Amino acid sequence: MPLIELKNIKKYVLQDINLTVYDKEILVLAGPNGSGKTTLLNIIAGLTKYSGNVLFDSRNINSLPAHKRGVGYLLQDLALFPHLNVWSNIAYGLKVQKYPQDKIAKRVDELLDALHIRKLKDKYPDNLSGGEKQRVAIARAIAPFQKVLLLDEPTSSLDAQTAKYFRIELKALLKRFEITSIIVMHDLLGAEEIADRIAILNKGRIDQVSTPQEILFHPNSEKVSEFIGMPNIIRCDRCKVLSTGLIEVATGDLTIILPYEGTKISKIAISPHDIYISDTEPPGPALNRFKGTITEIMPLRSLLRLKVNVKGIEFLTELSKEAFDEMELSVGKEVFVIIKLRRLRYAE
Amino acid sequence: MTFKRISILLSFTVFILYGGLILSLFYFYNGQLFLETIKSERTLFSLRLSLATATIATIASLMIAIPSAYALSRFHFIGQGLIDTILELPMIISPVALGATVLIFFNNPIGIFIQEKSVQFVFTVYGILLAQFITTLGIAIRLIKAAMDEIPARYEEIARTLGATPVKAFFTITLPLCKKGILAASVLTWAKALGEFGATITIAGSMAMKTETIPIAIYMRLANADIEGTVVLVLILIFIGLGILYGVRMLTKKSHPY
Repeated sequence: MPLIELKNIKKYVLQDINLTVYDKEILVLAGPNGSGKTTLLNIIAGLTKYSGNVLFDSRNINSLPAHKRGVGYLLQDLALFPHLNVWSNIAYGLKVQKYPQDKIAKRVDELLDALHIRKLKDKYPDNLSGGEKQRVAIARAIAPFQKVLLLDEPTSSLDAQTAKYFRIELKALLKRFEITSIIVMHDLLGAEEIADRIAILNKGRIDQVSTPQEILFHPNSEKVSEFIGMPNIIRCDRCKVLSTGLIEVATGDLTIILPYEGTKISKIAISPHDIYISDTEPPGPALNRFKGTITEIMPLRSLLRLKVNVKGIEFLTELSKEAFDEMELSVGKEVFVIIKLRRLRYAE
Repeated sequence: MTFKRISILLSFTVFILYGGLILSLFYFYNGQLFLETIKSERTLFSLRLSLATATIATIASLMIAIPSAYALSRFHFIGQGLIDTILELPMIISPVALGATVLIFFNNPIGIFIQEKSVQFVFTVYGILLAQFITTLGIAIRLIKAAMDEIPARYEEIARTLGATPVKAFFTITLPLCKKGILAASVLTWAKALGEFGATITIAGSMAMKTETIPIAIYMRLANADIEGTVVLVLILIFIGLGILYGVRMLTKKSHPY
């Protein structure tokens, strides 16, 4: 049974939004800034007025105020209550809902362990790091047994490595507590690692709702394709598992090395901004580093898109105007193309 | 001379100015008279009257000011700009003018009706309370609103998603977060009520042992050219004011900002 249904939702930029989020599903809501993502979360949480209908388990909840909806909300800036310590922040929802003391203590204990924050329980938010605050905010949001969790840009303040671990942990946590969640992201970086489905919101409309692979490999419109960065899709002819946890994928004369996750690879998608261009040979190992020739230069606002031919395969790449001017690039010039290993996406 | 030094020097001139004025009082200080005056029934009455009326007026102001400041800080409604502007009224027009306005009001049919059917304000202790209340309400709202503006509304929104009603969110989140601001506003409101003179004398008069607060007593002594008596009463007012301010500062001095 679908848990959350949005029907003909209208508010500010949002125009007639229809969306279903299934029970225990993790849906990533992605779209450029100003597309109405946060407004949609506020509508589901009951924090703003709207026209249209919001249904939970087929029950219309339009008239339910925020405090009766049972929707946990993780704001981008977390908004931990500064006058309460970690324990009291987590217990807040349980206390205001008048749970018995022993049940509050048990639930807070469970969450302190689940999020590995037991040692922080007496600290105040001012004394926590960004990552610690994030964990406390999640524990607080789901403490009063919320079955729906809304997360607004949860990884925006984390560095790439921390964000990756956080996504993995968050997914495990949401599945463990069987929480239906909507995660807002302004780009798709790492979305495929966490999402069951991705919805692309653009200028107040939902352009596509599909699985991550469907979105990456089969964007249904040019707008979606442009948002996800028009990836270079490479069909693979052969695969060879290497002994070091890597897999070598070949297409024509080109071989690319990927992390091996136990599945054969038929296609690879690489976003243009995940490919580096250099006019000199970069230091370090030659992994996924190729020589190519620039075949086309396309200006795109503050960026430039280059088409680079590498062993008969045309790669679309992206770089800043400053970098372009510095390297004095032109059509026909030979450059080094470096594909970021961790940014490769693939499908069975 | 650096900008830093100039600014520090200027801040000391404030201390020299006020400190110098207080010190100059001691030129006419008479220890014997101090004890006599402070023990006199009339002074003790004025002191009790001033402390009691200032405290009651402050409590009444806060009861209106806290919810009003919250409404002005959090919501957008018709007439908000008007209310926000009129708050400054007690500060722009002189207290005497404010008192005169109240006195004139009690001479029109509605005012007369109120006085006949409820409480007599003119020339009574209720008049003192009213004078202190109307002169402090605007400033109390302004100060508390400033404190509430500092607290982002999203804390309350989060509290509501966690199951708190708007009232519960106000009492468990907003109020504790701005309690320092409210305390500071209360102290200033109380101090302003304690020192209120213009509106009080206009509405309540200056009857000894009836409506004579400390500031009015000071004025009456000065009017009778009783400089030494004036000095004693001024010193009492200064000691009470500074004592309270120091006490509050000590009470709120905690390592944690909230």
